[in-house]
Amino acid sequence: MNGFFASDLSGAVATWVAALATIATWSYLVGARRLFVLMQHLLAGLATGYLVLLAIRDVLVPRLITPLIEQPRDHVLLVPAVALVATLIGATWLPRGMTAPAGAILVGGIAAFALGGAVVGTVLPQIAAALPTTNAASPDLIGEVISLAITSLVLLAFLHGAPRGRLTIRAATVGRWLLVGGIGGWLGFLLVSRLSLLVDRIGFLLGDWLTVLR
Amino acid sequence: MTSSASSALGSQAAARLRPAAPALLLLVLLVVASLLSGGVSGLELASPDRSRVDQLRGAIADLPDHPLVLIAFDADLGTYPEIRAATRAAIDDLAAHGAQLAIVSFTPEGRAIAAAERERIARAGTEQVPADLGFVAGAEAGLVRSVASVVPASASGPVIDAIRQGGGGIGAFDMVLIVSGSDLSARSWVEQVGTRLPKLPMVTIAPTFLDPELEPYLRSGQLTALVATLREGVAFAEAVEAASGRSSGSIIGSLPMLAGMLAALGVLAEAASRRFSRRGPRRFSGRAAS
Repeated sequence: MNGFFASDLSGAVATWVAALATIATWSYLVGARRLFVLMQHLLAGLATGYLVLLAIRDVLVPRLITPLIEQPRDHVLLVPAVALVATLIGATWLPRGMTAPAGAILVGGIAAFALGGAVVGTVLPQIAAALPTTNAASPDLIGEVISLAITSLVLLAFLHGAPRGRLTIRAATVGRWLLVGGIGGWLGFLLVSRLSLLVDRIGFLLGDWLTVLR
Repeated sequence: MTSSASSALGSQAAARLRPAAPALLLLVLLVVASLLSGGVSGLELASPDRSRVDQLRGAIADLPDHPLVLIAFDADLGTYPEIRAATRAAIDDLAAHGAQLAIVSFTPEGRAIAAAERERIARAGTEQVPADLGFVAGAEAGLVRSVASVVPASASGPVIDAIRQGGGGIGAFDMVLIVSGSDLSARSWVEQVGTRLPKLPMVTIAPTFLDPELEPYLRSGQLTALVATLREGVAFAEAVEAASGRSSGSIIGSLPMLAGMLAALGVLAEAASRRFSRRGPRRFSGRAAS
């Protein structure tokens, strides 16, 4: 039981709709493409409608329109945001000089936050954490040496077309097999993950819908 | 004539279904395994390595009395079933430790799942419903803004008052539980919030595909705990269930998982043998020609 649906009439209707949608999606397996396409359109429509509702109810009205109506003098900086929203919903007749700065701030801000965070929060701390410790008794020392060796071999595998000796070619071959092995192992892990989703859906059909599994 | 027409229709249907036979057989196999799953003992899906489970349980146990805990719900609709049991177990464990919970989302999908989970908790009526901090737009920029202010102006209640007394931002919390899966995962939290609030403990539950992305943060100490595979999630849910005696909902059965994995291995072996049989004669003819 996934617990998302109540035991009243609305819950029963929701369970039936979810079960029928699941079966309709699986009907693609037996070649019923129209049903599958219908489900795709339903998903796209619902997702778009939900996004629009969320944007209006949780973002535009409480954070943009209400402050501008109630206290316009305190929220002058929201005017470019209105221009940006107007541009996004298709008001291309607005002068570019008005909308371009707002768009530039939006794109630049997102990029600055992401890049700044990646450098300060990931690159520098991870370099510091990856440096080998000076303590010879470190329990991770062997693991660190093996990691270094594997990383070097895999990097060598990317030396395509460069002139290299016999030893380098052998090392690159080993690196390529390590890379293939790593990708294969990871795909196996993902298979288990996706299998669990399929088993969960079957569990929903048997448990929540048909109630033969408790 | 009627019998010949019906047999023609039957053969047409059979021909149409033939390509789908392996997938349908797999579905039937999984259905049977799911039905038998309850009666089969001796199969264990939970990871025998409990170190990740102990880390998360330890982080929750180390919290002060009546701590404020923020649940950042940014799971993905497609992969949430994989971490659902672990997430519910973590919420149960936090509630059992007397935590004051609040839920916030930075992605639309996360908001949908968070709302459904809040409704589920309210319906069950067994524990206090987490305070709703709603949806925060702006992705990384929204995260940074929430460090200073995360409470909506219209929100009210005892947990909201406690957050406002602590400054109104993420810094008011004693811990953040990040339910990952979407674009804004624990990585964004480490990069944007961890650098601004380095003393704030952050623990995360994530689907398997995020494990390689998040594991380095656990090793470097930027994350306090990480539960990121199905086996760890099941182990965590079982540990919490054993301690509290309360079920966290359905956990994936081990028998259908075993059946599915054996089917996958069978497909792999079949593909390998087909490839081998194709290559064999070519090599042989090559040698014969030489």
